[in-house]
Parts: sequence; structure tokens; C-alpha cells
Amino acid sequence: MRSFALASVFLSLVSTAVCADESNLTKPLSSKFLLPSAFKPPQVFKNTNLVHVVNLEKSYPKESINVVIENTASSPQDEYYLPFTTRQMETIGALEVKDRKAPESGLFEVEAAEIDPESDTQYYRIRLPKPLAPKAQQTLGITYHFLSALDPLPATIQQKENQYLVYTFSAYCPSAYVTLKQKTEVKFPTTNIREHTVIPGTGKEPQSPQIQGTKYTYGSFGEVPAGAYEPVRVRYEFTKPLIHVSRLERDIEVSHWGGNLAFEERYTMTNRAANLSAGFSRTQFAQDAYYNPQSPAIKELKFPLRVGSLTPYFTDVIGNVSTSRFRSNKREANLELKPRYPVYGGWNYPFRVGWDADLKKFLRKLTTGDGYVLNAPFLEGPKQPEGVEYELVELRVILPEGATNLKYSTTVPVVSESITMHKTFMDTIGRTTLTLTSINVVDDLRDREIIVTYDYPFMAGLRKPLVIFSGVLSLFVAAWAIGSLDVAIKARSS
Amino acid sequence: MTAATSDSLLKKSTGRNTRGLLRLVILCTIAAAAVASRLFSVIRFESIIHEFDPWFNFRATKYLVANGFYDFWDWFDDRTWHPLGRVTGGTLYPGLMVTSGIIWHALRALTLPVDIRNICVLLAPGFSGLTAFATYLFTNEMTTSPSAGLLAAVFMGIAPGYISRSVAGSYDNEAIAIFLLVFTFYLWIKALKVGSVFWGALCALFYGYMVSAWGGYVFITNLIPLHVFVLVCMGRFSPRLYVSYTTWYAIGTLASMQIPFVGFLPIRSSEHMSALGVFGLLQLVGFVEFVRAAIPSKQFGTLLRGFVLLVFAISLFGLVTLTFAGVIAPWTGRFYSLWDTGYAKIHIPIIASVSEHQPTAWPAFFFDLNMLIWLFPAGVYLCFLKLNDEQVFVVVYSILASYFSGVMVRLMLTLTPVVCVSAALAMSYILDSYLTVKSPETPESVSSTADSSVSGNGSTASAKKAAKQEGGLRANRQPLVGIYTLFSKISVVSAMTAYLLIFVAHCTWVTSNAYSSPSVVLASRLPDGSQHIIDDYREAYQWLRQNTAEDAKIMSWWDYGYQIGGMADRPTLVDNNTWNNTHIATVGKAMSSKEEVSYPIMRQHEVDYVLVVFGGLLGYSGDDINKFLWMVRIAEGIWPDEVKERNFFTDRGEYAVDDRATQTMKDSLMYKMSYYNYNSLFPPGQATDRVRGVKMPEVGPVLNTVEEAFTSENWIIRIYKVKDLDNVGRDHASAASFERGNKKKKVTKRRGPKVLRVE
Repeated sequence: MRSFALASVFLSLVSTAVCADESNLTKPLSSKFLLPSAFKPPQVFKNTNLVHVVNLEKSYPKESINVVIENTASSPQDEYYLPFTTRQMETIGALEVKDRKAPESGLFEVEAAEIDPESDTQYYRIRLPKPLAPKAQQTLGITYHFLSALDPLPATIQQKENQYLVYTFSAYCPSAYVTLKQKTEVKFPTTNIREHTVIPGTGKEPQSPQIQGTKYTYGSFGEVPAGAYEPVRVRYEFTKPLIHVSRLERDIEVSHWGGNLAFEERYTMTNRAANLSAGFSRTQFAQDAYYNPQSPAIKELKFPLRVGSLTPYFTDVIGNVSTSRFRSNKREANLELKPRYPVYGGWNYPFRVGWDADLKKFLRKLTTGDGYVLNAPFLEGPKQPEGVEYELVELRVILPEGATNLKYSTTVPVVSESITMHKTFMDTIGRTTLTLTSINVVDDLRDREIIVTYDYPFMAGLRKPLVIFSGVLSLFVAAWAIGSLDVAIKARSS
Repeated sequence: MTAATSDSLLKKSTGRNTRGLLRLVILCTIAAAAVASRLFSVIRFESIIHEFDPWFNFRATKYLVANGFYDFWDWFDDRTWHPLGRVTGGTLYPGLMVTSGIIWHALRALTLPVDIRNICVLLAPGFSGLTAFATYLFTNEMTTSPSAGLLAAVFMGIAPGYISRSVAGSYDNEAIAIFLLVFTFYLWIKALKVGSVFWGALCALFYGYMVSAWGGYVFITNLIPLHVFVLVCMGRFSPRLYVSYTTWYAIGTLASMQIPFVGFLPIRSSEHMSALGVFGLLQLVGFVEFVRAAIPSKQFGTLLRGFVLLVFAISLFGLVTLTFAGVIAPWTGRFYSLWDTGYAKIHIPIIASVSEHQPTAWPAFFFDLNMLIWLFPAGVYLCFLKLNDEQVFVVVYSILASYFSGVMVRLMLTLTPVVCVSAALAMSYILDSYLTVKSPETPESVSSTADSSVSGNGSTASAKKAAKQEGGLRANRQPLVGIYTLFSKISVVSAMTAYLLIFVAHCTWVTSNAYSSPSVVLASRLPDGSQHIIDDYREAYQWLRQNTAEDAKIMSWWDYGYQIGGMADRPTLVDNNTWNNTHIATVGKAMSSKEEVSYPIMRQHEVDYVLVVFGGLLGYSGDDINKFLWMVRIAEGIWPDEVKERNFFTDRGEYAVDDRATQTMKDSLMYKMSYYNYNSLFPPGQATDRVRGVKMPEVGPVLNTVEEAFTSENWIIRIYKVKDLDNVGRDHASAASFERGNKKKKVTKRRGPKVLRVE
């Protein structure tokens, strides 16, 4: 018993330590390798053609760079560097690189590199799967997004006003190499663009941007040296919420006995939209709901769950939230949640949702041995037209007690992983738990999956019934033994 | 021969075992029924803490579980009674929280991580099962009938009078206190019967537990001495009585003094003096008995008279002196209101403003006890028939509890156990009489039964009497009694069965309809019959919790203090623990005065938000405008010059909120906050208040010192933010009028026509 107590104390210490680490989120958690502080990427590449697309249709900027690179060195090269500012490095998420010509060949290995914490320029190092021969060319497709990069201006608005967002970026795509030809396209959600930077044309280049509906194009520009920066600031209408989840804890619990897969998600949600300049007026809200449904308030969250999900719940810290609907049939299982109050800019609404699913749809037994394969979605948050951003996602996969030999794979970038024991209902040794942490995730990654394989011997499944049986048995024996003791002071008359 | 005796012995013991097992099964079923009937609200709504006080208990329990016992004991809560704070650890009865905490820790030790909320919600139903068992034990001490205990248990399990305070979610002190009450009484009877120190000490320990759990322990503190006193007066002093009472008093008083909130009250307050007095009396009587055995009877008489007079004079003088010296606290207002139901309304409006402190209306007895209430006197009568020490207890208990339950609605709770016990005694007596009586073998009885059974009650009574005197002379002369026939047996038993069934139906109906609403969540029916939940309270509390500063002070009427503390987790000015009348009156004054008067009060108390409950849109009658007169009255009690109740009534004496409302009413902060912006929800001139059923004035009130911060979906909760001081030093009225674009009024003095001044 004492060893249990000690172990639990130790575990709680560990968990608090982990929590303390995680609460400090100003720095990205991504793995880094240090480079000398005077590091400059070797000028071994040039960008012959580059198209930079900035997509502002959602509540976070989504950028992609399609670039044709050419090896200018005399030896084959495989390290391509991509520069970002320190601020961007903290909020960048899901940087993925693939060969545009052969997208099916998979993602390239990408690693964040830190040279000097004081420096404003940091690098991502992209390792090409095959070193690029001298003079050879390759087309890279680089995609990423930034979190918390759009800011409302003015920062406070009235309840029925439109909201405008500001985004600043460079007209010249940031690059560590010389770029021969490039252009930057900006996609806006509406045509209501209040401000944009105009870059005057030079002799052979026209004035930027060229406007086609909601698409603004800067460039094309001619040869630009490495590290060139031309700030562009746009301010555009976006009367939708900026849903920001600062922390999502997602648990997936496997129960072999119950044939059940239980999901639970705990959201710490904020709306980053413009704050209300005056108090919230219910009258105004009721009228706006009728005349002008667009608003920067979060009124509803839609969770399209896997078909066959059942028994959902939606609670917050003071109990069940009665304003939710669950539509489930053969083709869909939609969970529609309404927060208790419309979440306006600057307001918070932490909540918790959970549901069950049939284990058979997610788990398969391997034909040989005691192995099982679990295939579940990594992320299943709300699917909103304006998008959702997650600062930190902590996924826990709780396997049954006694599961061993745990392995996992996922395409979502993971910054930390650990395997611990989770002790809960009547466990003796605790359930094997895989904890994965991922930062700067957006709802585009909804469809990514996590695949976990583990061994679960037959006897491990019988552990709990046997423990309970022996516990009750020992209780009876103890009761019988105590009951048959004679504790009377005077001698029993027989 | 030997084989035959052993066989019969075996049979006997098997029969006893079977009956014991059957009884156990029945008791378990009763406990299950008691628990199940309290789960309506969990099934209908959710596992949620109900009403007001339970929210405080829940919050205290969470604090206990999170910070441990010693921190809880020393808990100074700076989030209530701002800016005073509350020494919570020393001013509450910790029994309830500690019980939940122990259960929580025990379950965790068994690796069952049950949420503390669920433990709190289900504590009351769980303990009601135990109460049923305790009632069974208690009743078994009263009678030899084996069925009376089971009947009492089932009555106790489902009587609405007890269910009203112990449904799931009703996490209040009474949840465990009634079990402790009944069990302490059982142990007391046991101790008295056996005269053992062991049972007396057990009784004292449970009394100590009861003291830690509920302020109603004073009922035990007075009932047991009263019982002893009555017994002594009846000349039933015995060493058993002496041993059990002195053991109980000594240990029980020490145990009760361990609770900080009680402390030295047992030797200093008037409510506890009877126990002390009876303790002294017992010593005297014991001494006298001792002397009587030693001295001849003639001298004894003189000695006794002188002795009694002397002791009486000394103790009375001592009591009066101590009371005047202030060592013994005089009676409290709550105590006076037990004797004079009009007292509180005049002197302490804050006590009178609580609905559960009102005198009981007579239908409430039928509502809460149904058929038990008419079986109750019969049971008490049966106690008189066989008047042992323990039956005296039931008689004393029933008299005292009947009186108190008539004075205060909530004291119906203390009446319920004795009603259940007495009713069970009566019911089991009837059933035993009619079910188990064997027909005598005289043939005449069969012949003449028909006509006598038809004549009804009178004949059955005489029949009972006859049955008792079986074999006597009268019985020989007139053995033709009706109860032996199958018909009379069947008719009486089936009538009783029908009553019992109706009782069950009534209990279920009352529980389901009257006592199972959490009052935090309201339910209504949609046109298609489905349930629609009105969740405005939690909507607003959650908004406060998430979107205001951690230490934002909320001013509201005291009813909502505990809920704000529990659900919104924000400091409040006043809450349901009504010990500081002045502070509550301050809030009452702020609510009932003009903005110019209220604003300084709110600033002084660092109020950030003001919360009002407004039912006008939905027709929710428990709103602040309907409670407003209590605020006015309580404020008037402290500031009779500034707040006057009369000014809130129209000339015709009506309490009106529409066009007829007085200027004082229209200027009051509460009125303004309730109806601010309400007009804009309706077409011009159409605004109506659905609670009061009146059309509102064309122009709504204007607010200058506070601004609307949040209004819940159905307008039940409205939250206002108190404005900061104006940046350029204007007063709020002129600043607001500038904002609205009004022209600044010229302050030139208007001169009237020149008048020749005489004198």
C-alpha cells in the first residue's frame, strides 16, 4: 500500500512538473538543433521561379510557396533553408514540404533550426530526400500557417459593426537564396478591402497589386537578393469569429470489455475577434440575429463526428449545457453545440464534449499474436467555415490495463510524446497511456489519423475481474474471521 | 425423542433465519425505494446541486477536498461578504462537508475517482436509505410487533415531508442530519432501556456528529432533557436513567464543544440551559434517593422540602445573575420567533423574508404526510396504552415537534420521523389485529358476524376490545364479535392496503411535482410536448465566471450570493448566510435608492457588477421586483429616515410598476435595472410585464451610473457594470446626458417678476 502511495505521489509530482513545463508556451516546443550564431545558409541554391500564395479566407493566414529551386553549387546539395522571423517561428504550424511534381512521394523531412535566440531570423531546414545534382532543378510545394497573426482593427467595435482584420507580410517572399522571378498572391474572403499597400511599378514591372475580385497579386518581380523584405499591409473585412483554442485536451479511451471507444475533449476557447466597445445588449442581439446574421460572435459550433457516434455530452464547469443538438442517422452524426452565451471578441468559453463509438470500427486484431491496431482521428474539433486554430493539442490514447509494446504513427507534427500509466476505475497497475503534444494546429488537420499498435494478452483482460473477486473474497474472509473472534470480557457461558 | 427436539429446534432456528433474511431483503428494498424516489431531478435534468444553500455547501466541500481538512478548518473566505470576509471554517457546521470528503477519499482509495459533485448530489438520497434503517431500529424499540419497524422504515423512506429536504442535489445539512437525529434517538432509547454507559456514549458520539452537521441539534439538546424531566416528574427515576443521561450529557457536551461554531455555547446560551438544568436535577434526585434510603421518612420530608427550595432559589438567582452579567447569552430572535410567529416580521424582517421560516399552512400537513397525519394521533394513543419510558419519549417528541412544525415550515422535517413511527405503530396494530387473529371455536360468533361488521367502525373498535379480553367474562357473554369473519378482515385490510397504495401514489406525485426542481434550471413545455430547459441562471453565472476579472465584486440581493459564489466564482457583497443584517440592509438601500445615492454606496464597496433577476419577459414570478419590498423593509430597519416603505406604494396603497408607480419606485436602482431597455423589445407602447401583468410606461428608465453588461437569453438575469468615475470630473448624469447629445442646460437663474418686499 505504501509503495502505491509513494508511486502516486511521484506520479503527481511528475504530472505537475509536466504541467509547469506546458504552461510556458511562449516558445515553441519543436525540436531544435543549434547552429553557430554567425550562421548564414550556404548560397548553393537559387529560386528560379516562385509563387507565394497568402490565403486569408479563414481566421488564420494560410500560406503556400511553390518554388523551383536550382542547385548552383558544384556538388550535390540536400539542405534547403527557409527563413522566418522569431515571432513567426512561435506561431507557425504544420510546415509541410513535398515535391510538386511527385506529391505522392510523401513529405520531406523538415526541422526547425535555431541559430541565436536574439536574432530575428530563424530557419527551417528542409532535407531533400535525394541530394540535388548540380544544375538540376526541383519544384517544392511548401505549405504552412500562422496562428494569432490576424488582428482586428479597430480593436473594439459595436455589436452590429463589421469587423476588419489587419495582416502584414512581405511582397517578396522571404528566402535565404536569390530569387529570379516571383509573385505573391493574396486571397481575401470578401471584396471589401479597406486598405492595402501599393507598390509603385518600375520600368518593366507594373504597379502592384493587380486586383481580380478577391484576389490581389503583387508582382511579378524580377531578381531579388536573399533576405529582401517589402512590407505589405492589408486591412479587410472579416465579420466572423476568430476562434482560438489555447489548449485542447483530447482523450481516446479504449475499452475491450465494453467494446467501446470513448472520446472526450476539453477546450479552452477564446474569441480573438474585436471586443465590444459597450456592454452586450440582448435586444440588439435578438434584432441582429434576424436582420444580419453575420457577427464576430461564436454562436454555434458544429462537430461532424464519425457516423455511428453515440451518447454525446456537452458540459462546462457548472454542469450540462442544455443548448445542444445531436443529429445522428445512417449517413451522418452531427453534434451542434451552442455555447451558453454568444462568445464575443475577448470572451472565453471553456467547455468539454465527449461521445462514444463502437470499438469495432476503429480497432482491428492482428492475425498473429496478441496485437491490435487502433486507427482513430487525431483531431475532431468543430468544423467551422471560418476555421479554428489550436495553440496546443494534447492527445491521450488510453489503452486497456496491461497493454504493452505500444507504437504509434501519425502525420501530424508532434513535439513531444510520452507513455505513462493512467490509474482510474479499479486499476491495479494503471492503463497504458500514450500522450502526444502538438502545437500550432488548425482545423485543416481534422482528417489526419493516429495509428496505434499494441499487444494485449488475454490474461490482461482477466486481471480486473480476478482482482475484484479476490478483493471481495478477502473481505468476506476477514469479516468471518473478525466475527468469530471472542472479545467478550466475561467468560462466555456455554 | 432426542431426534424430535433437535428437529423442532432446527425448524425454529431456520424459521428465524428465514425471517431475518426476509427482513433484511425488505429493508434493502425499502432503502432502494427511498433512494430511487429521490432521483427524479437527476433523471429529468442532470446531476446538479439545487437551490441556494447547497451551493455554498458544495463550494465548501470542494474547498475541503482541494485543500485538506486543516485548511478547511482555518478557512477565511475573502470572497464573501466583501469587504468583511467570513471566517468560514469557524462559522459553519462541517459535518456535511467532512462526510462527503470522507466518502470521496474512501472511493479514491478504492481507485474509484468519482467526481465530488456526484457525491454531493447523491449524498442525501444515500443517507435517506440509512434513515429508513434507523427508523426501523427506533420503532423496534417501541413495540414488539415485527411489522411496525418495517412500516415505519418504508414511511420514512418515502414521506414527502422528508423527501422535500433530501432529493438528489439537495445538498444541505438536513441531508445527513435527519439520519443522525433518528439514530441518536434510537441510541438514546437503547441506552435508557439498558442503562448502559456504552449505549449512552454511542448516543453522545452520534449527538456530537449531529452537532457538527446541523443547527437543529438544539432539538435533541432539548428533547432528551425534556424526556428525562418528564420521566422524573412521573416518578420514574431509575439508575438506568441516571447512567444513560449523565453519560450522554457529559460526553455529548464535550463532543459538541469541539465544533468551533458551537464552542462554548452549550454552557453559555439559553437554548442549552435545559440540558444543563436537567443534568443538575438528576444529581439532586439521585442524591435525594440516596438520602431517602438512609434517613427515616418523616425527617426526610422536611429535609427534602427545605433542600428543594434552597436549590431552586440558588439556581434561579444564579441563572438570572449570569444572564444579566452577559455570561449566558439571552434568547436569540430566531428563538423568539418560535413562540410568536409575528415577532420576526416586526423585529427581524430578514428572518421573515425567508419563505421557509413562515408558519405552516394546514394543507401542508396533508401534502407532506398524507395519511400518516391521521394515523399519527392513533399511534400516540397506542403509546399511552403501554406507557414505558420509551413510549413517553414518543409522546414528548410528538407534542414538541407538532408545535414547532406549526410555527415554521422547515420544522416539518423534525416532525416527520415521529409521525412515521407513530403511524407505523397504529398501522401495524390494525394489520396485526386483523391479519393474525385466529377465529375462536365458538359457533355463535360465526352466525352473528354479518350484521355487526356492516355497522362499521364502532363495532370494530368494540371487537378489538373484545379480542383483547379474550376469555374474560364479558367475552363469554358477548363473544359475537365481527373481526373474526373473513369479510371484516378482508374489508379492513383491503381498505388499509388501499390507503397505503394511495399513500405511495401521493408520495410519488408530490416528489415528482413539488420537490424535484433544481430551481437553478427551469423547465417548460414546448407546444409539441417536449421539454424545453430555461437555463438563464447558469448562462449568466458562466458569463460572469469567464468574462469578468477574477476579483470583480458582484452586488446582488442575498438570495443569489451562494449561487454566485458557487457557480460564477466571484466575490459577493452579501449571501444567504444572514448574520450581518446591516450589510444586507446596505445592499437593500443601494437597490432601493436613487442612483445618486446608490452610486457612492457601490463605490465604497468596490462593486464592479450588479446582478438583478427579472422575470417580466418570461413570467417568472420569483424575481427581484417581487422581493423588492423585503429589501426596502430591511433597509428601512437600519435607515428609517432614508428608505421608507410607504413611498413605494401608490396613494391607493398599491404596489405598482406601471404608469401608476410612485416616483420613488421609478427612481430606485432596482426598478431601473429591471426595466432598462425593456421597451425596445416591444413595438412602441406595447411593453408588458408578464409577471405583474401590466403594461409598462411608454418611456423606459434611464441609467447613468451603471451600464448594461449582459442580459441572459430570457432576460431572467441582468448584469450591469458600475461605471468608473468620469474622466473629466463631471457627474454621471451630466456625462450621460452629454453622450446622448442633449444640450447643456443653461444655469442662468430665472428671475421672477419684481415684487415689492414688504416687512
